[in-house]
Amino acid sequence: MNRQPSSHPLQNLLRKLQLHYHMGAEDQQAVLDLPYKSRLLEAQSYLVREGDVPDRCAVIVSGYAFRHKLTGEGARQILAIHIPGEAVDFQNMFLNEADHNVQMLSRGEVAEIPRHALEELALSRSEVGRAILLTTLVEASIFREWTLNIGRRDARTRIAHLLCEFAYRLSAQGMAPIQDYELPMTQEQLADATGLTAVHVNRVLKSLAADGLIERDRRVIRFPDWKRMRDVGDFNTRYMHTLPAADTNLHLG
Amino acid sequence: MPLLNQTSLLAPLVRRWSRTTALTEDDLEAIEAMPFAERAAPRESYLVREGEPTASCILLLDGFAYRQKLVSHGARQIISIHIPGEFIDLQNAILDVADHNVQCLTRVHLGVISKSALLDLMAVRPNVRRAIWLDTLVDSSIFREWVVNVGRRDARARIAHLFCELIVRLRRSDGQDQQVWDFPMTQEQIADATGLTAVHTNRTLQAMRRDGLISLANGKLSVLDWDKLAEVGDFNERYLHHTV
Repeated sequence: MNRQPSSHPLQNLLRKLQLHYHMGAEDQQAVLDLPYKSRLLEAQSYLVREGDVPDRCAVIVSGYAFRHKLTGEGARQILAIHIPGEAVDFQNMFLNEADHNVQMLSRGEVAEIPRHALEELALSRSEVGRAILLTTLVEASIFREWTLNIGRRDARTRIAHLLCEFAYRLSAQGMAPIQDYELPMTQEQLADATGLTAVHVNRVLKSLAADGLIERDRRVIRFPDWKRMRDVGDFNTRYMHTLPAADTNLHLG
Repeated sequence: MPLLNQTSLLAPLVRRWSRTTALTEDDLEAIEAMPFAERAAPRESYLVREGEPTASCILLLDGFAYRQKLVSHGARQIISIHIPGEFIDLQNAILDVADHNVQCLTRVHLGVISKSALLDLMAVRPNVRRAIWLDTLVDSSIFREWVVNVGRRDARARIAHLFCELIVRLRRSDGQDQQVWDFPMTQEQIADATGLTAVHTNRTLQAMRRDGLISLANGKLSVLDWDKLAEVGDFNERYLHHTV
């Protein structure tokens, strides 16, 4: 909840889009000119429910959100974590029914853009369309990496990978230095994001701390040695598809 | 390279796109004018390699392909399976560098279009852009479902889910129901698609046969009890977005 009152709520969306594609001034302005309505939401509130036909697209202005699905038996799998500047419903554009749920992870503010205005802009301005399409493709790339993470990495590597990815994304979006950030997730949520049990996650976090790979102070996570952490998490940033210019701005410590 | 006889070869693609997007005469003309080169590739050959800059986009005309990624110590995870009529490489081609590998599951017949021709077409034909965009979003939904599958289902459900998905997609694609389906995956590949070991996969498949759910031999899959298989696989086809 630390947005400066003077900044435009969609400014961070613009920043996010430009991580993957550079738009000219007119196209940037067209994004900022999208109609929106601000809403303040409590932690756990639903932005989208599976089966809904979304008529607006929420952009996170402050706070965090997560995507998830439930199995028939009620087990939950978290599919992605979203940070300020990210639009949770680009994935639902052009589709009829939402195939998953999106919930706030923390209390926060969202700017809701009417879906028809977004779709119209994406189809009428080809550069904006390209930037949004690339952003959704990068999200798809992250889903692929998560399948790999859960399917073929051991518990320790999975957790380390998730911590690295979150750090990298916050840093790319200019929200925190890569080696020091606040993780808004409980151990149960970490478990649901990595296909593990909460008990297992607890054990892994302790072992990562014992090995000097992470330092924890409540929800703050520090990486004393980012390079080593990256190796332990088998984390390679290629799948994030960040433009080189944006990538070199990262605070890599 | 010989150009395709596009009217017939692109028919499945056009049929699929027409279900979700209203294409005009001009759109159809532009699609038919796409400069494709025809190519065949043997089983297991690589169509795209992770880390390579992308130059072209592949339309699968015949045969099956799959996406996979490797962890640094070499273990493989299959990310999705692709069937004829699918533009399989949109996920890489629109981005600059491939972030995963695409390999042939069977011998395949391909149409290859240059990345610039594809992007040009998308830039000038908004309906085509929408159709391609929609394809990538449905891919994305399938990726999400696979995260759930490997993360929160047991071995039997994971494999049953994989069978159900492929059958529903094939049925939708050629519009007919069959008793026996092509299922050209080895047990090792099924294991890599479900995050299991080959031994666990073998044991699970044997149990599924014993329980009268399926029969699987020589690349042919028969479902003996669809309702039960769908229940075991926790399969709900909403994520395939066939009703879009």
